[in-house]
Amino acid sequence: MHPEKQTHAFEPKIIAFVCTWCTYAGADLAGTSRMQYPSNVRVLKFPCTGRIDPVFILKAFQQGADGVLVSGCHPGDCHYIAGNFHARRRFAVFRKLLEFIGVDLNRLQFSWVSAAEGGKWVEVVTDLTERVRAMGPMTEFKELAMEEQWSGAINTPELQEAYNSI
Amino acid sequence: MTPIDTSIYAAITDAIQTEAGRILSEGQVTAVVGYAAARRKGSAQPIVISNPDDAQKLIFTAACVNNLAVYLTKAKKEIPKTGKIGIVVKGCDLKALSGLMGESQLKREDLYLIGVPCAGVLGSTVQPATELTTGTIAAKCTECDAHLPTGCDFVPNQTPITPELEQKYAVEIARLEALTPAERWAYWQEQFSKCIKCYACRQVCPFCFCEQCLCDRNKPQMVETTPRPAGNTAWHIVRAMHLAGRCAGCAECERVCPMDIPLNLLNRKMAKELKELYDHEASFEVLDKGPLTMFTDKDDQSFIK
Amino acid sequence: MSRIGVFICHCGENISRTVDVERVALEVGKLPGVSFSTDYKYMCSDPGQNLLKKAIQDQKLTHVVVAACSPRMHEVTFRKATEAAGLNPFLCEMANIREHCSWVHENREEATIKAIDIVGMMVERVKKNRVLPTITVPVTKRSLVIGGGIAGIQAALDIADCGHEVILVEREPSLGGHMAQLSETFPTLDCSQCIMTPKMVDVANHPKIKLYTYSEIELVEGYIGNFQVTIKKRARSVDEDKCTGCGVCMTKCPQKKIPNKFDQNIGMRTAIYVPFPQAVPNTPVIDRENCTWYKTGKCGVCQKVCGPGAVDFEQEDQLIVEAVGAIVVATGFDLYTIDEKPKGSPIKGYGEFGHGKIPDVIDGMTFERLASASGPTGGKILRPSDGKEPKQIVFIQCIGSRAREKGISYCSKVCCMYTAKHTMLYHHKVHDGQAYVFFMDARTPGKSYDEFWRRSIEEEEAVYIRGMVSRLYQKGDKIVVMGSDIAVGVQVEIEADMVVLATAIQPQKGADALAQKLGISYDKYNFYSEAHAKLRPVECATAGIYLAGACQGPKDIPETVSQASAAAAKVMTLFSKDKLEREPIVARVKESACVGCFACKKVCAYGAVEVKEIRDRQGNLIKTVAYVNPGVCSGCGTCQATCPSKCVELDGYTDEQIVAMIEAL
Repeated sequence: MHPEKQTHAFEPKIIAFVCTWCTYAGADLAGTSRMQYPSNVRVLKFPCTGRIDPVFILKAFQQGADGVLVSGCHPGDCHYIAGNFHARRRFAVFRKLLEFIGVDLNRLQFSWVSAAEGGKWVEVVTDLTERVRAMGPMTEFKELAMEEQWSGAINTPELQEAYNSI
Repeated sequence: MTPIDTSIYAAITDAIQTEAGRILSEGQVTAVVGYAAARRKGSAQPIVISNPDDAQKLIFTAACVNNLAVYLTKAKKEIPKTGKIGIVVKGCDLKALSGLMGESQLKREDLYLIGVPCAGVLGSTVQPATELTTGTIAAKCTECDAHLPTGCDFVPNQTPITPELEQKYAVEIARLEALTPAERWAYWQEQFSKCIKCYACRQVCPFCFCEQCLCDRNKPQMVETTPRPAGNTAWHIVRAMHLAGRCAGCAECERVCPMDIPLNLLNRKMAKELKELYDHEASFEVLDKGPLTMFTDKDDQSFIK
Repeated sequence: MSRIGVFICHCGENISRTVDVERVALEVGKLPGVSFSTDYKYMCSDPGQNLLKKAIQDQKLTHVVVAACSPRMHEVTFRKATEAAGLNPFLCEMANIREHCSWVHENREEATIKAIDIVGMMVERVKKNRVLPTITVPVTKRSLVIGGGIAGIQAALDIADCGHEVILVEREPSLGGHMAQLSETFPTLDCSQCIMTPKMVDVANHPKIKLYTYSEIELVEGYIGNFQVTIKKRARSVDEDKCTGCGVCMTKCPQKKIPNKFDQNIGMRTAIYVPFPQAVPNTPVIDRENCTWYKTGKCGVCQKVCGPGAVDFEQEDQLIVEAVGAIVVATGFDLYTIDEKPKGSPIKGYGEFGHGKIPDVIDGMTFERLASASGPTGGKILRPSDGKEPKQIVFIQCIGSRAREKGISYCSKVCCMYTAKHTMLYHHKVHDGQAYVFFMDARTPGKSYDEFWRRSIEEEEAVYIRGMVSRLYQKGDKIVVMGSDIAVGVQVEIEADMVVLATAIQPQKGADALAQKLGISYDKYNFYSEAHAKLRPVECATAGIYLAGACQGPKDIPETVSQASAAAAKVMTLFSKDKLEREPIVARVKESACVGCFACKKVCAYGAVEVKEIRDRQGNLIKTVAYVNPGVCSGCGTCQATCPSKCVELDGYTDEQIVAMIEAL
């Protein structure tokens, strides 16, 4: 009955931030249509992509997400008139910032998935999961969290001297 | 290292003194925020005067680096609100004031703006008595497009001579952009690891006027507060994001950073993106909405699947 | 300390087939704060709900997580049950382990692990849930109906008969819509005008109905119970109060050769006109594009001959604001453009069938006008090209409809029946004529429908050919129709005098623009979307807005009338209370932390954010802060994501709740 389970050395953790009206409903449709996709994704429901704060993406990476998906209604379809338009600008800028800081943007996916696009939800989630799986774990933020250093790096002779004198 | 002509600063000082004296004695303003000589040779510091006789203390030199706008914002509450306030502003400072007006933090009718034609000020690591040259000028001044403030109540009738300079941030941004994500990450981790979370950058920023900073919140803790690498990185990302589309480019954050973290580099990168994406630039114009509080239905979405 | 109860539903086998529900219950039971955890076959059933209620009371639960289907399905059910057991309904959350887990993953181990994660996430979230009191808002007991066809008329009459005021807005100069254009109606063949016009008159005479014809919706603001609608009343150039409807202006107007849209452009009208003689209101409109006065500044005959002096060339468009509590959208349909590819549309045209090029290839609505006793031919079936009576007529069904390659996959639902009607009308009027019908399938569900269709074949001698037409072309004064009869397996060629295409039903042009003004959703064809396909078929997802008629999807008259009455019933349900209770998912400002930058106000699409001044007892201004009007707020939370210090928070989706979920991962 069950298909041969493919095993992978690394199973990425994918967090999806979605709006309730379009993408969450699209994911529901994928379910009612019994479509299949990787089980790596964990979905967080928001009323609107307009509610999704860039800090949540940061927080997700810090909590060990290997990939993050943000998805909402297509332009013009926002249940709240324009929340997705505001989100579009916010995330256009935020991803540029992350890129500049050194985050590989292949780990961060944005999409419009309507309530009618169960198939697109499956495609987006599958693509992101497979891409991130191929990239391996996101180590950057995790390593930061592990670091014990509690202050400015003592990386100059003067600082070292001052430190030693304490 | 070519010298930059600052000979107009003496005449500007005179003009500021006269104007400040006049508006104080006529009762047009209750106080004037400006610069005065400080103890070290050639250095300058902010001063608030309310007596017309003190107008003689006001100066303008290449050491007048501070953005005085920060003294007017609500959260800092440095100046008691007792009527109209005069303030000495360089072009970069005026952009900050315009931004603050757009965000309902200041009202134009409460201010008397004394604009300064500015050829540039000294970099943060330079001794205050140093001559202003292409080598000692602040990095922000190399990219300045606002030497001559407009829309002020008074501007001394001087025209600064401003040579074309190598745009220091643009060059550095281009260098970093050419690196791989991993290399950039390494670069910024080196920078952020220096951070001691003193929040001087927040304290000096005219736009960090929140009464409660998100990064100080503990229910929930959105950003780790400790000066550990994880918290430092998060702080600088959140700071840059919150300033995106608002930062006026005064570079005070970078100037006051005791650990020499190139903070304005992040701000400039954001400014560059906002210019490219939405044709937004900080300016003297008071905008109803900033680039991240508005949208058009034609906005770029090439990054969205 | 929380005492959380977790209830894992098997959903028969829908969940338990893939997810090890016992293991989920066991694992989740170990989470801090969870004091009760169980699984049950059908949580949504009565015994399931009773299990939940009993556990809340017996176990003194403080929060509830039901892991079952999508919250879009049963959140309301379980929140009601939670409330019935004495807890605030917003202390109950659902974990979606069916649509988002058991149905989309086959591997039992993976699905079980994911289900544990999902439930764990919701457990952490629910700990941060706060008691939210229900919000009540006042209800304005007046209704707006958009569209004056049969749907709009029926809804308006029903609501008005209940004693509530109705504002009826129609874009055309007269009420009536498409039904007024029809000749006879299936399955009884009663004259459309005879049953329609009395209803139009009822609307005009109803003391509770305020009629705006030749008007459009300009702007819709507000929310359920409290909409502010701006109506653009276009300049008629005729004073409605003065005009007596005598019609002298129309008889004297020198511009007499303007194609009349009401007659599908085969009949002509004057520049000052009413679309048809029984128009309501019977007040003419000047078509400024074709009027000599507006084109040259000369003429003015209508003004000179008008006894009451009603013609007013200076009249201007007016903007009228009306306050209403509910809106019924009944904007109806339009016919598929078959002559060319419509601009900017993914739909391909039917140029190959010669429509627009061969004058005697017409669409169904044009046939209706030819067959109508009040139509341009006085009810005689005559060819548009030479006015001859067609002796051989071919009807082709499914033009556009069910043609995925043309961009439309749906069935237009009424064409089978109206084509059968057309063959009958034709046979009644042209006794020696022969009608042929090319059809794919005959779809005749409906009371007395199949009997009607059979009658067209058995009694009215129409020849039905199962198959599609590949090509048609003009040959002399005949149209050669080439097709296949797949029942017999032969090619068919008919020399016809006239061809009638049963074109697809589409939403009105501009349906999408209106939807955007109303803030309602629509599908890829621009048909308006109902809140639930089966259980809420007349409500929009946007509260307070209801749908009637073909704007939602193709419909025949009885179905349209039923839906219109249903929409009216929904409006009356809303109006039955003085105050409306609404979900308390709204933003609130923490005034102590707000510095009044008003970023929230700038991004609020609803204008829900107001400026509030905080003063001390002496009346001195302390500070200016943002205030969210809970009646206007729709709960999108864009303000919170924009606020740098997060001092505006969306109840139900607070940062604490969301961060708790992220941290649970």
